[in-house]
Formats: sequence, structure tokens, C-alpha cells
Amino acid sequence: MSYIHVKDLEKRFIVREKRKKGAFFREKKMINALQDVSFDIEHGELLGYIGPNGAGKSTTVKILSGILTPDGGEVTVGGLVPWKERKEHVRRIGVVFGQRTQLWWDVPVRDSYDLLKDIYRIPGEEYTARLKELTEALQLDELLRTPLRQLSLGQRMRAELCGSLLHRPELLFLDEPTIGLDAVSKLALRDFLKWENSRYGTTILLTTHDMEDIVALCSRVMVLGHGRKLFDGTLHDLLGRYDTVRTVTVRYEEADAWPELPDNAPAVCDGENLVITYSPAEYPTAEMIARLQGAGTIRELTVQPRNIDRLVADMYREMDL
Amino acid sequence: MKAYLSAFRMRRRLEVQYRGAVLGGIICQMFFGLVLIAVYKALYAGKPQSMPFSHIASYVWLQQAFFRMLLASDPDLLDKIRTGSIAYDLCRPLNLYGFYYVRIVAQKLTGSLMRGVPMLVFALILPEGWGLSMPASPAGLCLGLAGLMLGLLCVSALENITMGFTMRTLDSRGMQGLLNLLMMTFSGNILPLTLFPDSWQHVITLLPYAQLLDTPIRLYTGEALPAEAPRMLLIQLCWTLLLTALGILFWQRNQRRIEIQGG
Repeated sequence: MSYIHVKDLEKRFIVREKRKKGAFFREKKMINALQDVSFDIEHGELLGYIGPNGAGKSTTVKILSGILTPDGGEVTVGGLVPWKERKEHVRRIGVVFGQRTQLWWDVPVRDSYDLLKDIYRIPGEEYTARLKELTEALQLDELLRTPLRQLSLGQRMRAELCGSLLHRPELLFLDEPTIGLDAVSKLALRDFLKWENSRYGTTILLTTHDMEDIVALCSRVMVLGHGRKLFDGTLHDLLGRYDTVRTVTVRYEEADAWPELPDNAPAVCDGENLVITYSPAEYPTAEMIARLQGAGTIRELTVQPRNIDRLVADMYREMDL
Repeated sequence: MKAYLSAFRMRRRLEVQYRGAVLGGIICQMFFGLVLIAVYKALYAGKPQSMPFSHIASYVWLQQAFFRMLLASDPDLLDKIRTGSIAYDLCRPLNLYGFYYVRIVAQKLTGSLMRGVPMLVFALILPEGWGLSMPASPAGLCLGLAGLMLGLLCVSALENITMGFTMRTLDSRGMQGLLNLLMMTFSGNILPLTLFPDSWQHVITLLPYAQLLDTPIRLYTGEALPAEAPRMLLIQLCWTLLLTALGILFWQRNQRRIEIQGG
């Protein structure tokens, strides 16, 4: 059986609605946070989990990490049922919730780590070695003596990640780990995750809204929407279906140059530039370039696929999310 | 076990950090102590007394010195529950009730010792009739201390039940306001329980709130003789065990139905 096995997972939440006029009690409404979600994950996989806000991503992570009890379905992680054999299960996993903190606010980061050492019963030597390794990889050396409240968001996220990895978890859940980080911190974090994954074979499940995270890290992507699994496969396959539009920006030497273009490739003037969107499937790129060249002397020309966030937005729209 | 001890030490350290709060607490409690004693003095002037006035003054000082033990919820824990950071604690290989319990004990113990010890020293040097009297007997002091320890465990168990309610409502203020009212009235903080009518005292002293400070203070002042101590300590112990058991059950139920809201 695979390392993580999820079958027909279900979770419902009860939401109380606003009290209607004249009614004494508020009405309750059932919300299906997860319905019939099934998947399997093998050891050492680096898997991205995407979906619009409220799709059920975090709920899945909370169930897999043993915090929530589902309303139906089977889940085993390394042979254990997370919410039933909670203590044995959580000893082997690490979790980072991007919007919450596990470290103590008013004490130096190092002291929070020392507490984690005792919580996970990490032997002294192993702890020292692991802490050294992690602080080097995450560039935390100078921050260990600093109270958490003085760290910047990026520094804090690195410190949180270190805390979640001290006990060498074989499975790591990351819930929006790059939220609010600057470019340098994001890149550093991604590099680190790749390193941890290849070095120790740590299985990583990542939920994010930042598609660059997925592009940089994940060989496999799952899309969740309205509590259902909509896609499971490689990022390339996912985007292949939606990556159908190219944008050409062209600038001519002559001010009045205007190429002859077919109807399905409309051109729009943007200052000195001419912006054309077309679909390579309907109209070959080579032919497009030839036409553009025929209309005058080209000073500058760029052909771009669409922004990946756009693609994802289109995909969500088509899936009616 | 080591994890719980570490959590205890960590919380104790945190409490020591807030020195300004300690000073503020001392001044505030000193003020209340003096005002309360002045009020009782005015009320009792020239009237027959059911108990020696020095006992009342001692009662007031001891109540004020250990005020922090009664009315102080750990803001970190409440924040964790409100913001959902409790999610992290839920995925630790620990008993969550115990993990929070040791933190509550650490906060209450450290907080009240830091405030209480300087206050009691001050109260000891106050003039006769205003200050704290010496314990009735060495045995009374020892039994009082034992009662204080049990009271600490008992109040922490109570506090953890309030935490359990907070896990359900996410905001501590409603339930806490209600429980604090009971706490202030029936712990003897506003009016010493020894001053309630005798018929009331039979009932009030059996309530959990009387186990927190009233019992150890009575043993200290000699209002209760050492011979009565076994019975009183036994009641304390029973309440501590009962409240702890209730808390553990409550938390287990909560953990099964908890929802961590938000992303």
C-alpha cells in the first residue's frame, strides 16, 4: 500500500446562518468541505495542492495531520490512522501553517527549539547536529538568540520551518509557506525544501496560491475545488489544456505600419506598441511572424505565453469554482 | 514527562520577564488590601466581633498576595485558541490538557510568588491591626502551605475548564466573566468567607472556590485548628481530582469536535 492512502474522504461543517427576522433560533446549514476525495502519495514525493480559497485544502491537511476527524472515508499515513493513533502519528510528521506560529513570541527562538527537543524526545547529540544543519541551510545562525517578536516575516517563516523539521519528520505538510514573503526569501525557502526532499527523501505536501512554488518544486499537482478533487497529475499536463493563447508585442520603426491580420487575432494599439493575442493552434506562429515582418521594419518583438496565474484563473473558471 | 517540565520552566521564565506588570500588580493589590482593611476597621469599630481583627487583616493580606492565582488567564493560551495556533499544539505527541495545565500552574505559581512575597514582607511590618500576623503555629504554617499547593492545583484545574469553554466559544470573556464573579464571591476575595453567616459557611466552604485560598488561610491564621486540617485537605483533594477529571473529559470531547477555522 502507498505511504499516504486517502479514500472517499468526507468532511462537513455546520454553519449557523444569520437569524431570520422573527425566528428564534438561527438556522443551521451543512457545508461539505470535502467530498469523495481520494488519492495516494508515495514516499519521497513532492506534491502541490492547489485550489481557490475555501476549496478544502487546509481541511485536508488538518485531517492528514490528525487535528480534525473526518465524517467519512479512510485515511492511513504510513499504516496509521491519523486521528485515531494521533500520538504515534504526529511524532513522525512536521507541519507548517503559514499563517500561525508555533514558536514562543517573547522568548529567543533557540529556547522554543529546546522545548521542541523535549517534546519530541530528540537525543542531545542528534539535536545539536540537526539544529546546526538546519540553521546553516536556512541562514538562521544570528537569529537564534533573538526573540521571535523581533523577526521579520521572512525570518520568522524560516524559523518556523526549522522548528517543524528538528525531529526529522518523514512527512512534512506546508500550508501556504510562502505567504507574504519577499522574492529572496521565497527562493531560499524553495531551495531549502528541494534540498531537504532530495537529501532525506522527506515526503512533502504543499498547499499554496503561489503558482511559482508549484513550478519550482512539485512534480505532481492536485487541484481541489468545492471540496472535490478535480485534477491529479503533472503541472505540464494541467496547464497544457489551458495554455492556448500567446501574446505578441511588436514595435515598428515606421509610425503607421499596420499588419494584415486574420479576425481571430485582434491587434490593439498600446502607445507605440502593437499588442496581438492569438492562438497558435488556429494560427501558426511562423505565419504570424511572417505577416508582421511584411508590414514594416520591426524594432522590437516579444512572444509570451500567458501569465500562469491567468491560466489558473481560467482553469478555475472553467471548472466553475 | 520532560516535555511538561520544560513547558513549565518556559512559562515561568516568560512570567519573570514582565517586571512592570509585577510592580503594577503589587501596587494595585496593596491599595486594595489597605482599603479593605480600613473598611472593616470602620465597620467593626466598637462592635462585638465574631473573630479577632488580626485574623481579618491577615485574611485580607493573604488573599491580596495570592490574587494572581485566582484571576489571571494566560493570554498566550487564549490567543492560541482564538487565532487557531492551537493547531500546532494539536499535532504534538503530548496530552494537550496536561500541556496546558502545566503552563497554567507555572503562570499562577510564578506570578503570585513574585507579587506575593514582597507584599507579605511589607504586610508583616505594618503596625498591629493593619498588618499580617505570624502564623498561629508552626503546624498551621505547614498545613497552610500544603493547602496552598492543593489550592493552586485546584484553581489550575478550574482555569483549564474555562479554557475548554473558550475552545467552544473562541472568546473567553463571557464564560470567564461569569466564572470570575463566582470566583471573587465564593473564594473570599471580596468578603472573607469567615464573615459570612454561619449557616452559609456550611455550604460555601464546601464549594470548589473555597478550596483555593480560604482553606489555606484559615489553617494559617488558626481560624481552623490543625485537628480540622485532614478533613479540609481531603475536601481540597477531592475537588482537585474531580475538577481535573472533568477537565480531561471535557477536553477529550472538544478535541474530537474541534474545528480550526480559517486557512
